[in-house]
Amino acid sequence: MTVALHVTFRVGNASYALPASDVLHLESYDEATHVPGAPAYVAGIVQVRGRLIPVVDLRVRFGLPPVEPTIDRRVVVVQLGSRVAGLIVDSAREVVKIDHAAFEKPPEIIARETAGFVKAVAMIARRMYLLVDVPRVLGEELSHG
Amino acid sequence: MTDRVDLREFIGGFVVEAAELVTAANASLIDIEAGIAEGVPRPRAGRDLFRALHTIKGLAGMVGVESIVEIAHALETLLRAAERSGGELGRVAAELALQGVQAIAERVRAVSEGGAPAPVPAGMLEAIAAAETTIDVVAAAPSISPELDARLSPSERRQLSIALVAGTPGWLLSFVPSEANAARGVTIGAVRAQLATLGEIVKLVPRTVTGAAGAQLGIAFDIVLVSAAPREALAEAIAGPVERVIAIPPPRPVPAAVEPEVRDAGGEVISPIGRPVVRVELGRLDELQDQLSLLIVSRFRLEREIAAHAERGHDVRGLRQAVDLQGRQLRDLRRAILRARMVRASEVLEPLSLLIRSLARSSDKAVRLELETRDAELDKAVADRLLPALVHLVRNAVDHAIEPVAERIARGKPRLGTIRVACREIAGNQLELVISDDGRGIDRAEVARRAARPVDDDVALLEVLCGAGFSTRDVATRTSGRGLGMDIVRRIAVSELGGDLRVASTPGAGTAFTLCVPLTIAIVEVFAFACGRQSFVVPVAAIEEIFELPDAGVIPPRTGGLRAPASLLERRGHAIPVVSLGAELAIDDGTAARKALVIRRNGEAIAFSVDRMLGRQEVVVRTIGDPLVTAPGIAGATDLGDGRPTLVLDLAELGRAVRERAL
Repeated sequence: MTVALHVTFRVGNASYALPASDVLHLESYDEATHVPGAPAYVAGIVQVRGRLIPVVDLRVRFGLPPVEPTIDRRVVVVQLGSRVAGLIVDSAREVVKIDHAAFEKPPEIIARETAGFVKAVAMIARRMYLLVDVPRVLGEELSHG
Repeated sequence: MTDRVDLREFIGGFVVEAAELVTAANASLIDIEAGIAEGVPRPRAGRDLFRALHTIKGLAGMVGVESIVEIAHALETLLRAAERSGGELGRVAAELALQGVQAIAERVRAVSEGGAPAPVPAGMLEAIAAAETTIDVVAAAPSISPELDARLSPSERRQLSIALVAGTPGWLLSFVPSEANAARGVTIGAVRAQLATLGEIVKLVPRTVTGAAGAQLGIAFDIVLVSAAPREALAEAIAGPVERVIAIPPPRPVPAAVEPEVRDAGGEVISPIGRPVVRVELGRLDELQDQLSLLIVSRFRLEREIAAHAERGHDVRGLRQAVDLQGRQLRDLRRAILRARMVRASEVLEPLSLLIRSLARSSDKAVRLELETRDAELDKAVADRLLPALVHLVRNAVDHAIEPVAERIARGKPRLGTIRVACREIAGNQLELVISDDGRGIDRAEVARRAARPVDDDVALLEVLCGAGFSTRDVATRTSGRGLGMDIVRRIAVSELGGDLRVASTPGAGTAFTLCVPLTIAIVEVFAFACGRQSFVVPVAAIEEIFELPDAGVIPPRTGGLRAPASLLERRGHAIPVVSLGAELAIDDGTAARKALVIRRNGEAIAFSVDRMLGRQEVVVRTIGDPLVTAPGIAGATDLGDGRPTLVLDLAELGRAVRERAL
């Protein structure tokens, strides 16, 4: 069985996807507590369901210009091993079923523009979904360094 | 911070219970006074009085009425002294006890009227303490023989007791009139007159002398006498052999085992004396812990130094052994300090029974509380923070879960609803508390309808319940208000204490909330301050001084000295580098700074300038472990009560970074 549920969301003009099994839940986003000294793409820490987690601003991470915040902004809370972190997205869309076979290597232009944070792309119902490389987005190299 | 437990919650229960206890204490005192008048000890009344006072003391302690605690405690001490000396309260002591109970009653009344209870009346505690010496040690009655004991009147018994306790021997003489004696003029009248010259006759009782077959042989007199005269002289007075003069043994003091035992609802014995107890202000234990932390830090330095020596090829085996031993000792010390902070869970949960009482009275519910605490103990700091959450849960259970009596009967449930609070220590130094009820359970479909989202299981149910302001009730009840306050329960259990909260509900059968909280937490007293738009806190212990930044007098940065934004400020004859925290943390340029926090590192002071101070409070510090937010100078995060994390700064580490850069 290779068809899996994916949580999809938008950042900028692109649609992204994450395996639902990596997503704990979605939260609305208001403001984070800025942590001086943290990487610029880290918006800070928030308290989610009693947990203190870092939140990564995907706009900053993907090198997109900042926009006026809207009420659609969400935090996608993801689990990576023992780490739990949030990804700030412009809006979170529906959960879709994506066949693993539908994912392909990202085209050169997308790979370059997304600075390697997209590990695959899939066309579903004439819409392109970019599969986010969560360890990379969360600076997994940091935890080993 | 946590909303503190509102004492008003318990006042209702306290007033009812304390008033009942005062009535009981007065009844015991009247009994005791009657006993004094009659010379008959009333040990039971004494014990009842002790129990009533002990319970009043406990209750008053919970609602913080110190004056009642003090009076009750002084009286308890007096009663214990009376009990131990084998006697009973003397007139003076009984009068003082009456006054004390009166004073307690007045203070209970003041509390019930919403006023502030008066302090202890001047001189009362001293008078009670002094009364200990006036206790009559007379009450325990001497025993002569069952028949005679029964015939002694209270005043006769008292007369005998006083003499015996005073050291005058008591005697039981048996005079048998006979023809021969009568012939010699020794009649009962003559004996009586003779004995009166030798001592005091307490009682003279005629009795019939029976023979083997029950045949009546004649009459004899039993005489109870107190006299310092020798036994032979007494024998002579009754014209009989010395065998007819029997010494009455002095009363034995009442054995210490009669110390009253007070049992709590859980059947656990709370000894009023038990092991000796010292009440220590929590802050002093914190201080001890802070000092220990410093010791642990200096031990790390020692280890580093040893490692450095080892690298240079020095023999450090002896040093290593010593430092390892010290490490074990520090661990033991830490454990001992933690133990000192522990309080019995039963003590922590006791206020809940008061709460249930007043809640049940103000609603149409019949409900009882079952506490099951076994020997569980937890950190006082955890206990203080936890109580508001438990109050919420118990209040919700009475209000929303337990059905009205009629409904319970209709459903075939016991009339009396039960709320159970059980706790036990579980793995990982955690305490598990289960607050369960046998009420109606939570209707998931209804919750889902109101929340307009699916509620498929208990996890989803908890999520909805903990949404701020969620309520399954349209009408705000008097006790619960609007909303369940479950968001507060979760904030305390999870956000503040770093624990866990779960719910399991079976419609029709009841609901159980399970809280797991750490047995101990790191409570730190901090200064909160603002820097730009952001607030931070820093441990009070880390700050040497806080001062107002002068408008002038800041010496501009020297070339070759600390790199900007540090400037120097003259402070008590020393030049202190002033670092703008706003600039250091890249928040702003630091020009809005008006205050400076001084820290000292390796003997050198550094001042960090901040915009303004926000206050001083105790917080629970939580670590933030994710590498994304691990930055120098960030020691952790806390919740100042707004539900948002506030960073805890380590200024010493920031200071080190500043110094290193300057070199």
